[in-house]
Amino acid sequence: MIQDSATKSLSPGTGALAYRFFRWLWVLAIILLSNEWLLAGPKPAKKLVNVADTRALESGFTKWIADLYNANLWLYGLFVVGVMVLMGLVLGFGFDRVIKSLGIDLGRLEHHE
Amino acid sequence: MEMFNVWMPIAGMQFNVLLLLLIGFTVGVCGGFFGIGGAWIVTPALNIFGFPMPYAIGTDLAHMGGKSIVSTIRHGKFGNVDIRLGISMIVGTTVGMELGAKLVMWLERLGLADSVIRKAYVVFLAFIGSYVLLDYIKYTRRQRLARKQMAPAPHADTIAHRLQRLRIPPMIYFKASGITCSIWLPILVGLTTGIVASVLGVGGGFIRMPALIYLVGCPTLVAVGTDLFEVMITGAYGAFTYGIKGRVEIIAAMWMLLGAAAGAQMGTIAVKYVRGYSIRLLFAVTIFIACASVLLKQLELQIASATLILTAGIAISLVILILLVRGVRKERETRRAGSGDTRL
Repeated sequence: MIQDSATKSLSPGTGALAYRFFRWLWVLAIILLSNEWLLAGPKPAKKLVNVADTRALESGFTKWIADLYNANLWLYGLFVVGVMVLMGLVLGFGFDRVIKSLGIDLGRLEHHE
Repeated sequence: MEMFNVWMPIAGMQFNVLLLLLIGFTVGVCGGFFGIGGAWIVTPALNIFGFPMPYAIGTDLAHMGGKSIVSTIRHGKFGNVDIRLGISMIVGTTVGMELGAKLVMWLERLGLADSVIRKAYVVFLAFIGSYVLLDYIKYTRRQRLARKQMAPAPHADTIAHRLQRLRIPPMIYFKASGITCSIWLPILVGLTTGIVASVLGVGGGFIRMPALIYLVGCPTLVAVGTDLFEVMITGAYGAFTYGIKGRVEIIAAMWMLLGAAAGAQMGTIAVKYVRGYSIRLLFAVTIFIACASVLLKQLELQIASATLILTAGIAISLVILILLVRGVRKERETRRAGSGDTRL
């Protein structure tokens, strides 16, 4: 913790409080982590099969997404990014307009702490 | 409520869209206000309601990218995004994430990864929360004393000030932050936070935001906005990488993004009505709650842990919304009466 002399004289109890707290934090860290090194063991392997269940779907957007997922995961990945970016832009600018219409001042802010 | 259930073809389950909207809205408010992605709220919240964990992580990352665009647009218009600083940090963060991944693999080979990481997570959250809280206490004491002495509060020489004084070329002026420092400072801070985020398996918003304040020396609002700029990029990358691995439930992500966009807009506008130190105080409280939630998880109390984090997320969002409403009211009254400070 950094404290200059001016701050120290203004808040005499804070340094000691901080020192006590961080000392306990270190003790907690050592206790929590030390027994793990003694009780180490291998991690079990996990596998997921990536197939979208389309049996209940007949047509429409959901079916199209599930088919895309099953056909090509790279295209699906690109589609996910595209949809999220597009939705983010549309909703971002859309909500901005809505808020402006409510009469809230949305100009630049001055940075005070 | 069953009428709101929608079939999620990728996760292979029915899920309530109202729940998705609520989770999205909650994390949107917190994310826009604190400049974080909020994975620690979304992932356990989705998981507790039956979403398989790998899909919960991927879906969260996907919606996080879109939600951060909404917040970054607004923060950018407020002048809270330092793009130059954000890009410098991203360089360090990317390398740091890779180094962190290698460290995790090394821990895995030793069979230590899972438990060590979770426990390090608790300690790290406790450290960040306490540091921010202690800084807030010192700040309020200084202000109180200055008011008593009828003099301006003295400025403490912080770690950031000392780091800014290191003259390692090239030196760069970051306009939005109003600071001049060596380019290596944000790169190294990005590298360190990247390593920590990667080891802990999180996006890292809650690490970068305080790091930008306490190590780089950004004003709180610029730290929030610039961090969101980074979350936007990492979220988009995360959406892609989890997408090609088949771990993103796009239908759920779209519903969540709808709620998150509304929440993010409100959370972002709320920063206009509060002082930087009020954001820091609420942030410290949030981090302590996240810490308690991870501790409960350590004790195998999964449901209690997820319930705590979801309830706390909703409560913190409500506090932020109350601050927003009070701020808007005060602004309108001030406008009617003439000009003045509208911050709470």
